Amino acid sequence: MADVILRDIVKSFGSVTALRGLNLQIEEGEFVSLLGPSGCGKTTTLRILAGLEFPTSGTISIGDRVVNDVAPAQRDIAMVFQSYALYPHMTVAENIAYPLKKRRIPRGERTVMVQKAAELLQLTELLRRKPRQLSGGQQQRVALGRALVRDPKVFLLDEPLSNLDAKLRSYMRVELVELHRRLGRTMIYVTHDQLEAMTMSDRIAVMDGGDLQQFAPPNTVYREPANRFVAGFIGTPAMNLVDGELVLSGGDWTFRTGNLSVPVPPLGENAAAGPAALGFRPEHVRFGEGPIEGTVQVVEQSGHENIVVAKFANDLRITGRAPAAQVWKPGEPVRIRIDTAEAHAFAAGPNGERLNRPRAAA
Amino acid sequence: MNPARRTRLEREYALLGAILIAPTVLIFCAVIVYPLVSAIYLSLFQVFTPTLEGSWVGLSNYRELLGKEEFWTSLLNNIIWTVGTLSLQIIFGVAMALILHQNMWFRSLARSLILFPYFVSTVVAVLVWKWLFNDLYGIMNHLLIVSGLTDFPIDYLGTMPNAMISVILVGAWKYFPFVVIAVLARLQTIPDALYEAARIDGAGPISRFFDVTVPQLREVLVVIIMLRAIWDFKEFDMIYLLTGGGPITSTQTLPLLVYKEAFKLNQMGMASTYAVAMMAIMLVFMILYIRRTRSEEDT
Ligand SMILES: Nc1ncnc2c1ncn2[C@@H]1O[C@H](COP(=O)(O)OP(=O)(O)OP(=O)(O)O)[C@@H](O)[C@H]1O
Ligand SMILES: [Mg+2]
Repeated sequence: MADVILRDIVKSFGSVTALRGLNLQIEEGEFVSLLGPSGCGKTTTLRILAGLEFPTSGTISIGDRVVNDVAPAQRDIAMVFQSYALYPHMTVAENIAYPLKKRRIPRGERTVMVQKAAELLQLTELLRRKPRQLSGGQQQRVALGRALVRDPKVFLLDEPLSNLDAKLRSYMRVELVELHRRLGRTMIYVTHDQLEAMTMSDRIAVMDGGDLQQFAPPNTVYREPANRFVAGFIGTPAMNLVDGELVLSGGDWTFRTGNLSVPVPPLGENAAAGPAALGFRPEHVRFGEGPIEGTVQVVEQSGHENIVVAKFANDLRITGRAPAAQVWKPGEPVRIRIDTAEAHAFAAGPNGERLNRPRAAA
Repeated sequence: MNPARRTRLEREYALLGAILIAPTVLIFCAVIVYPLVSAIYLSLFQVFTPTLEGSWVGLSNYRELLGKEEFWTSLLNNIIWTVGTLSLQIIFGVAMALILHQNMWFRSLARSLILFPYFVSTVVAVLVWKWLFNDLYGIMNHLLIVSGLTDFPIDYLGTMPNAMISVILVGAWKYFPFVVIAVLARLQTIPDALYEAARIDGAGPISRFFDVTVPQLREVLVVIIMLRAIWDFKEFDMIYLLTGGGPITSTQTLPLLVYKEAFKLNQMGMASTYAVAMMAIMLVFMILYIRRTRSEEDT
């Protein structure tokens, strides 16, 4: 059963249109990430769900109920803000208890519930402190505590980890996933960090320019990006995307650009001969031997592998991953082979759709 | 640290620090310590103002002060004036700041206009108010009579308690913009996310005001109240120009008493005694203020 439904949500701020007809159906208990570049409308979507912002048009339902006209407090949601938004003059215990207090839950019960939340988040020692006496990660947990103490139907999290350092962030990622597993509640998680989205989510909603680009499990988003935008956005280093044209000869598709011509995996019904783009991930580029000849430009060493950028005829630049054992130097000639079985073809244009034949359900 | 163990560099820094502070210390001594000491010194003499010649009387000025009814009525007036005008400044100031913090199309215009009373010179402000209050041609009386609320013009400045009320009101009008500006500046630094979090947590507008806004304003209000209490307590020109302390002495505060004693009764020694007593009273506020700022730094 769908738990959260956004239907044709449009949101304009004066002349700026932040969301252009967003449709999203989130299942109960799902962990969904909203992922996309800055300004794509992630926060706006979350705020519309929370009731802090009103859509220009479209309907929002949470758990069988249209909530367009329901106040934030009555929507059965809880939100964790990027800045945590802890009440600075209240202690940790008072912060966590605040939503309960506003719901007129008796003091005795309140204390028990706060205690439980504090135990879950390992905050018991800190209950008497004020927010400014806490580290970023602790503040973050207090914000989570304030959200979960009410046992809401849906958790809304706006980049909750972005203010933490790298180590704490990876720790909190695991904590959050664990928390989600324990609570079994729907969580909608805004991030522009694809690693967070990939590692934590059941499904990722990739957004760009106020539109949903793809809504699928992390693996699918990575292996079968719906369009060129998703292909280029997901994955570091980014997928190689080369403009050229598709040619059909004798039932087989070939991709051509300049004097380069590569075979393409089977395409679907929507494919047509003409301008198109070829996408292939850096891990599907083999260095050393192959039909394509160029020059090494940049080598980035990361210890376990080398990221090599090489330049080919017609200003074509291709990024690939090479084993750390292979030593490449800028300026050196290099030959590469593209593992075309793993390549993707996209229709022309920045959001051109993927043309590959859908994988047979094996 | 053990001074003997200081390195040469540390000694040089210490010397440099002393040199840099010296001018400030000298100016501080010249404009604050000297007048203070000389006021205390003068208060031990009986001095004739025009010649500044006097004779040592020891503490007898202070003895006289304690038994003098005019001192105590002036002190009482001073407290009534300070508490009255300060309360109104705070109430109107905070209310106006909250209004101006809302998103309104005339907000920026209103924010500059609100400063007008604070910027206008006291003499000009008092003249305008005297004109408004005038019983023959003042607009206030005219409106009251035209609207039928009263048959006779009201004497705003010449009778009691009208005179004290008028002085308090004009003081509130003149100084509430300071409160508006200070509170508004603080309001603008309260993150919107706090209000949004409170809304999601189920707090209505009134809860949000008391649970989010008020706690954030508390510190700034303490500072405003202390500063304004000190400034209002020693207010001279506005009251002097508006009523001259009258009728008789009913709006005479301590600064006016000091002035009268020094320049009308020509008793500089006694005037200094009043001034020192005033300072002792204000010292209470100052100590509170200093304590407050210090405890803030500690937490
Ligand atoms: N209150 C507002 N007034 C005007 N424009 C706004 C407002 N809020 C958002 N926008 C615009 O709407 C668009 C989407 O903003 P949003 O905050 O949802 O982006 P985002 O995806 O959360 O980006 P980021 O990753 O930078 O947080 C942006 O172009 C932004 O400028
Ligand atoms: Mg955002």
